[in-house]
Amino acid sequence: MSTTWITETSQVTRRWTIDGIRQPWGLGVAIIQPVIWLLLFGNVFSSVATVPGFGADDYMTFLVPGILMMTVLYSGAWAGTGFIDDINSGVMDRMLTSPVHRSSLVAGQLVQQLAICFVQGLCVLGIGWLAGASYEGGPLGLLVALAASLLLAAAFCSLSAAVALLARDQTALIGISTIIVLPATFLSTALMPASLLPAWVQTVAQYNPLTWAVEIARTAMSPSVDWSLVATRSLWLAALAAVVAWWSVRAMRTYQRSL
Amino acid sequence: MPCDTAVDALDLVKTYPGGRGRPDVRALDGLTLTIPAGTVHGLLGPNGAGKSTTTKVLTTLSRATSGSARVAGHDVVDEAAAVRRAIGYVSQGTGADPLLTPRENLVMAARLRGLSRSASADRASTLVDRFGLTEFADRGAAKLSGGTRRKLDVALGLVGTPSVLFLDEPTTGLDPEARSAMWAEIRRLAGEDELTVVLTTHYLEEADRLADGLTIVDRGRVVAAGSPESLKATLSGDTLSVELVEPDADLVRSIASDVALLRDVSVHVEGPTGRLVARTSDGPAAVGAVIAALQAAGIRHGAVGVSRPTLDDVYLAHAGRSWTSSDAAAKELAR
Repeated sequence: MSTTWITETSQVTRRWTIDGIRQPWGLGVAIIQPVIWLLLFGNVFSSVATVPGFGADDYMTFLVPGILMMTVLYSGAWAGTGFIDDINSGVMDRMLTSPVHRSSLVAGQLVQQLAICFVQGLCVLGIGWLAGASYEGGPLGLLVALAASLLLAAAFCSLSAAVALLARDQTALIGISTIIVLPATFLSTALMPASLLPAWVQTVAQYNPLTWAVEIARTAMSPSVDWSLVATRSLWLAALAAVVAWWSVRAMRTYQRSL
Repeated sequence: MPCDTAVDALDLVKTYPGGRGRPDVRALDGLTLTIPAGTVHGLLGPNGAGKSTTTKVLTTLSRATSGSARVAGHDVVDEAAAVRRAIGYVSQGTGADPLLTPRENLVMAARLRGLSRSASADRASTLVDRFGLTEFADRGAAKLSGGTRRKLDVALGLVGTPSVLFLDEPTTGLDPEARSAMWAEIRRLAGEDELTVVLTTHYLEEADRLADGLTIVDRGRVVAAGSPESLKATLSGDTLSVELVEPDADLVRSIASDVALLRDVSVHVEGPTGRLVARTSDGPAAVGAVIAALQAAGIRHGAVGVSRPTLDDVYLAHAGRSWTSSDAAAKELAR
């Protein structure tokens, strides 16, 4: 990692950050959406906690980690749209004919997306606390949960970027995101404990990165943290994020080869 | 780094997959091109001729299927990074982020080229002044008029102080006033030391006015190259053209070919109208002769004209079809 690479990447991050700030409705939606989910799911499904076998006595406390991860998942799925705008406008062509590293273009945008996800995560935790969730794991637990959300976000932002660079079409990106994100939510333990899921969903959920992230956050935020669970799931998430990030840089090169 | 040849491309071929069982599209079909340093060079051709593809290969954006090219002394594939440091590229789209101001765009482009924060701010200010962008410099780029935005695009291309600047259709979509302002800008650039400008255009007038050297491209190949004057000089005599109404192309061709004063006869049909074009060394006499011959055969015709050779005629002579039929968009400018 040379200083040139860091300068380039930070400039790219800066550019996307300014773009984001100048589209305040986008940021507003990014913040309001998880709040609505939290309050909506929290109220609609609150009686789930009384079902025998639920395992926790407070649905809001159970729900916060799930909403945290859902938020970054949905947010991440849109991350690639900026690249499609750049391809259509000609900004991408100018970037690719300048000496900038391709990986800086991808990494710089990823960092900005992760910053948004981090802010969203803080909001979810804050609103959850106001809504009555209890964070027995203390500050460390919250940090671990946020870190897990960023690993998940890195994987999904990169996935979205790769799809955007390969499909180069807003509609395709929206379609693919919808097809992946909604089922991923319900085939996980984000909203329902594994014990209440049908057997086949339990099986699928085990392999769902969303479940891994939710499990990390739930145990980290509970009074008795299962650190080996945190370690293994973090490792899996990190490996996934690394693979998908590598793929998104490859996708940038594939895009260029198609020109 | 100065060197005598800014661009040296040899036998470039670029094919794109046709998709769904269709044959591959051959965008470049053995294009060879040499551009001396310090000149304005026009790549002229109708839409789809391969001009933009050539530019993309030379700017390292795209990779040729075969053939090789050196820009500013560096190989576009093996030394792509060196090429990128030596060039500026202004694509057909905009290169500017619409949410940033012109100044922010320029500063960021400079920072991405490794200039320090203060050097980047200076470079941006210099370019803002030079392109008369002062009053727009700190407003959103999205709100700029077409001509001003295009100036910003060119300014962005110059941020890295390139030795070769590629301009892909710099005036397409601009109104006449903005176009002549852009021409003045390009001429000014051309006066600067060491800068080579490679410009693609499908406007014959633009090429004629701006370019020191021209390469006429058609269907992915070079059909003619030289200065605008020398290209026109290769066509001796005048151009005679006759507007035709619902012509029988073969009949008109055979009648015109029998007129002794005419040579290089061609007939172009577009919908209900057509045009007979031929070269002649005696314009006034040829007009009378061709009218008499057409009327004798009962062929309806419109205006008959004689003119000095234009680039349109050069294109026709080399590409075997008329510019206007290849590119209707250039019609009103191509007189």
